[in-house]
Amino acid sequence: VSTVERETRFVACRADTLKPGDRLISEFKGKSIGIFNVGGQFYALFNRCPHRGAPLCQGPLTGTTGCSDTHQTHYERAGEILRCAWHGYEFDVTNGTALVDPRLRVRTYRTTVEDGDLVVYV
Amino acid sequence: MIDCDVHIAFDSAGVLLPYLDPYSRDYLERGERGAPNLPIAPRPWLHPEGYMRTDAIPSGGRVPGSDYDLMCEQLLDRFDIDYAILTGDDIIDVSTIANPIYAQALARAYNEWIAEHWLARDERLLGSIFVAPQDPVAAAAEIRRVAETHDRFCQVLLSSNAQRPYGDPFYRPIWEAASDAGIPIAIHLGGHSGINAAGMASGNPTFFWEFHALAAEGAMTHLASVLAHGIFERYQNTAFVIVELGVGWLPGILWRLDNNYKALRKETPWLQKLPSEYCREHVRLTTQPLESPDDPKQLHHVLEAIHGSEVLMFASDYPHWDFDDPTMLPLPKDWAEAVFDRNARALYKLPAARPKVLADGMESAK
Repeated sequence: VSTVERETRFVACRADTLKPGDRLISEFKGKSIGIFNVGGQFYALFNRCPHRGAPLCQGPLTGTTGCSDTHQTHYERAGEILRCAWHGYEFDVTNGTALVDPRLRVRTYRTTVEDGDLVVYV
Repeated sequence: MIDCDVHIAFDSAGVLLPYLDPYSRDYLERGERGAPNLPIAPRPWLHPEGYMRTDAIPSGGRVPGSDYDLMCEQLLDRFDIDYAILTGDDIIDVSTIANPIYAQALARAYNEWIAEHWLARDERLLGSIFVAPQDPVAAAAEIRRVAETHDRFCQVLLSSNAQRPYGDPFYRPIWEAASDAGIPIAIHLGGHSGINAAGMASGNPTFFWEFHALAAEGAMTHLASVLAHGIFERYQNTAFVIVELGVGWLPGILWRLDNNYKALRKETPWLQKLPSEYCREHVRLTTQPLESPDDPKQLHHVLEAIHGSEVLMFASDYPHWDFDDPTMLPLPKDWAEAVFDRNARALYKLPAARPKVLADGMESAK
């Protein structure tokens, strides 16, 4: 038995009021959801960390460390990594996947800009 | 059966004199605390009865572990052991000596003495390469020398207390040499004095039995370091063996390391797996002294959490006071083949067939 929940369309705000690097956290359909502007693209994630239930979307939006060899590190993906507000688990804000383990994911929601409105489908 | 921790001894460190260069021979012959002692820094905890099995004292009151025939009688023949990995004795503490030239010379002399006086005598005996880790470049050179000139040394052996944790880049030459030789690096209880870091992180305990249980702290420190620094990403052809430091503590520290790594991955982006996954693949622990709760099932649950049937290797610690008799170990019965034989045979790349005995006075089968 499966139930298909219909997506509901919400207008979050005027798209031009959410600047690159900014976020908006609001309740839609009883769910706390964070919407992020990353370089002009909008991404919406469930504001609950799949690790321990923390308010994920209140964490810093940062980059992370990559490496070419042990101890040869560089900074990469600035502004694309959402770091959980509690333990610091890193999530790719563009797809909700934890960097340390791709099996650990946070629910993401579709966003569009329609007639200047930032729309999220929940 | 393979015994991964068998100690040998000499009656006097003077046996090393023929293998020393003049610089170091002067030290051992006429220098302070020289022969018959090995001039390691003494451990501050003193076993109140001496740390030897008293029934292992050879006739004439000689040092336990110094008599090959008695070792055969009490260990190799008695338990039908295929291979015994020799883990020295005081030489483990060569890491405590400040002068790295002298320390390395002693280690080198000891390696040659083992090869000539023990390994040549019985094919069941395998050596550990001793080095002075306080000079990693010289230590690496000794590992390469032994690997090129002898074929029955199966690992590098370092003391469990050190100047810094063994994953530190300071020790890269040692890991590189071990990996090139295709052999593991083992740490064995020891090195708790001299130039090494304090015996225990919060200060030294008082009594021998406290120290002996707390020495696991050093194993935890090295394990975390080796895993965090990505030793097994960088050096693919080696492994890490933890000898005589207990095993029951391992699940707890691995759970913590995994949890912390998951949150703070960005500190060590070179890791491709969880610390516990590297541990399962590249770290082995010897059983002695195996924790012995009143209810063995409690121990079995702990050992199952660390995939004990894959990572544990039997060790007796002959002829020391806390010897584990292989017929008395409280392990799950269906693990016996793996723990007593298969895991060590695979790690040390030992042949499936047992070696023929080439004891003194016996005809070679050649």
